[in-house]
Amino acid sequence: MASPAALRPSMGAIMQTCRSAVTAPKVAVAAVPVRALSTSAALLKRHKYPTARVTRDNSKKRGESAVHKSGTRWKLSVSDEPLPEPVPRDELPPIQVDEDHGLWDFFYDRETIAMEPTELAKHGRSWTVSELRKKSWDDLHKLWWVCVKERNRLATAEWERNKSKLGFGGAEASSRDRMVKITMRGIKHVLTERFYAWEDAVKLAEQDPEIDLSNPEKPYEPSTFLEEAEETAEASSSEAQPTTTEIDPTTIPSSKSQAEAPRL
Amino acid sequence: MQPTRVLQGLRYRKLRLTTKDTNKGFYKGNRTGSMGTHTTYGTYKIDWAKVRTYVCPNLSGFKLTPFVSRQVNVVHDQFPGDKLGPRNPHTYLARWKSENGLD
Repeated sequence: MASPAALRPSMGAIMQTCRSAVTAPKVAVAAVPVRALSTSAALLKRHKYPTARVTRDNSKKRGESAVHKSGTRWKLSVSDEPLPEPVPRDELPPIQVDEDHGLWDFFYDRETIAMEPTELAKHGRSWTVSELRKKSWDDLHKLWWVCVKERNRLATAEWERNKSKLGFGGAEASSRDRMVKITMRGIKHVLTERFYAWEDAVKLAEQDPEIDLSNPEKPYEPSTFLEEAEETAEASSSEAQPTTTEIDPTTIPSSKSQAEAPRL
Repeated sequence: MQPTRVLQGLRYRKLRLTTKDTNKGFYKGNRTGSMGTHTTYGTYKIDWAKVRTYVCPNLSGFKLTPFVSRQVNVVHDQFPGDKLGPRNPHTYLARWKSENGLD
């Protein structure tokens, strides 16, 4: 029972011990050449009487050592098949990439890893709240996502800059990021403001005799006729103008007017 | 020893609440909300109905950027004689009436 366990260590280990055992008495080497290797043999041999308790060695890797190059205790399976030769990178088939994948939005450019600091520094100022007040809900919603994507791109470039140790560019990226964050803060500000105004306006509308909120088809029924409205408009044109200027900040011109403005 | 009046927080608490200040069962959380339920076996079962999904709107043709050109002067809104300013519900309602009066 001791001999198979003792014979398990690899040939290299045996040769090593045999070589080291040359200096030792030759009789011991010839009689039990591998006993010195085995650590479990002595344990297994110890109790041979019938009522002996089973002292099984639970450590399946006993005697294995990377330092002493003992190898494994069991023979490992070996196959005869030749190893495949690696294909050079040039001969590999091209990697199939989806050109319209959404993850492309995480990069400024498909060729370069990160933008140069000089390119990164070319950005405008953030949106002011006054400018954002003129935008519709849809425009603000989309602008928010544009900001999110810009921040994603910045974060990806930052990660890449750290990983590749590209050096400069962190300051430019952070200043760019700050501008985006201010814009996002402005969007939140405007939407909150608009929501509060709407809440108060609903309360106001409940008391307005012209408005019937229970009628979804036509909640607003102007009490004045058109002729009167025109007259009053003419009469109070001087008064109406300040009110329109008050309305003006919250009016919603479409994004077309902004399309011609210089961007970036 | 007695802490200074500032640290005592006599009028209102100026320090954040920690587990040392409360009885057991204190859970501050991280303001994210749960995404599922704890099971009796100590594992966590994700409820996909609870997991947040953010849908990006269609941005094709959208030309706005997070930045405005520095050539555009910063002009702040003025609300003369209007304390509520952009939050004035009267302005909101007047505009609603003048535009469509529907939604």
